[in-house]
Amino acid sequence: VAKARDIPGLDPAMSFAAAAALAVETRSRELLDHADGVLDVSDIERVHDMRVATRRLRAVIEIFSSCLPKRERRAALREVKTLADALGERRDADVAIAALEGLAKSLTTEDRMGVKSLVDSLRARQQEANQDLAGALAAVEEDRLADRLAGLIGAGEPVQ
Amino acid sequence: VRARKVKGLRPDAQLIDAARRILAVRLGEVESFAAAVTDPADERALHDMRIAFKRLRYVLEVTRPCFGDAANEAIASARRFQDILGEIHDCDVMVPMVEDHIQRLRMEDLASVRAASDGNVEPDAAALRTAPNRRRYRGLETTATYFRARRELLYRRLMRELGGGRWSGFREGVDTMAGAGA
Repeated sequence: VAKARDIPGLDPAMSFAAAAALAVETRSRELLDHADGVLDVSDIERVHDMRVATRRLRAVIEIFSSCLPKRERRAALREVKTLADALGERRDADVAIAALEGLAKSLTTEDRMGVKSLVDSLRARQQEANQDLAGALAAVEEDRLADRLAGLIGAGEPVQ
Repeated sequence: VRARKVKGLRPDAQLIDAARRILAVRLGEVESFAAAVTDPADERALHDMRIAFKRLRYVLEVTRPCFGDAANEAIASARRFQDILGEIHDCDVMVPMVEDHIQRLRMEDLASVRAASDGNVEPDAAALRTAPNRRRYRGLETTATYFRARRELLYRRLMRELGGGRWSGFREGVDTMAGAGA
């Protein structure tokens, strides 16, 4: 899993509100940067990294909630959670498939039959989850989540 | 489980003071599950403790500049506990998933045999030869057994870690960060 990015400019003596702006900006950028290639089911770490990035962003929104405007904060949390749920559905299927395929290598050819039948049903679930994820990613674009996050921290420019 | 509210976080407070307050609450959250997870069957407590570790780790990742190496050590320990708890959770998901799959195969085969025996007093035993899933049961029970065994071993490892120096070192480390200078 990708390591959390350091937050540039953070200083123990700065105000909690100033730290909030820096933390939300860094974590927002982290999330949006992880969108590339996330629908590629041959590289399951991308979904994992983006999912963790949603958690880190939600965490900072919650940590610094007293510094962020309530209405905008709730709206941003709701949108990020919707994306996180879609990533989670894909991730659940990815993890189960990887675990079963790893185990299958140690089984006899006959015993692999049953595991394959379960993996096949999980592959169908993975495809379905991937379609939902594609929709969630499109919604992030359409709803201009980057702008909303920028608005949350009072920055003039959207987080790219 | 919902995160406990941290009171008194003023926007004009210094980051380090706010960070200490948050850490104290998040550590209390993690510790609150320590007794419940001694019951290996308490899946809920194990899951909640994992989430609590995660919340604490995310706070440390953001406030790391306030605490230096102590934060890095606590992040590594939290990560280790979280990983073991996560793997236990994966087993708790896998076992019922495999069992549900077996049940689904059975139901499909039952429907097939029932359809082939329609109108008969006795089911048609020959219909078993064409049951759609007759070859798909192999290895599934073994797979469920594997994940049960894996869960047991992971749980033992967790108990060893919670009873050892890593847990006490983690608590002391976070407690010191939360309390230092407060």
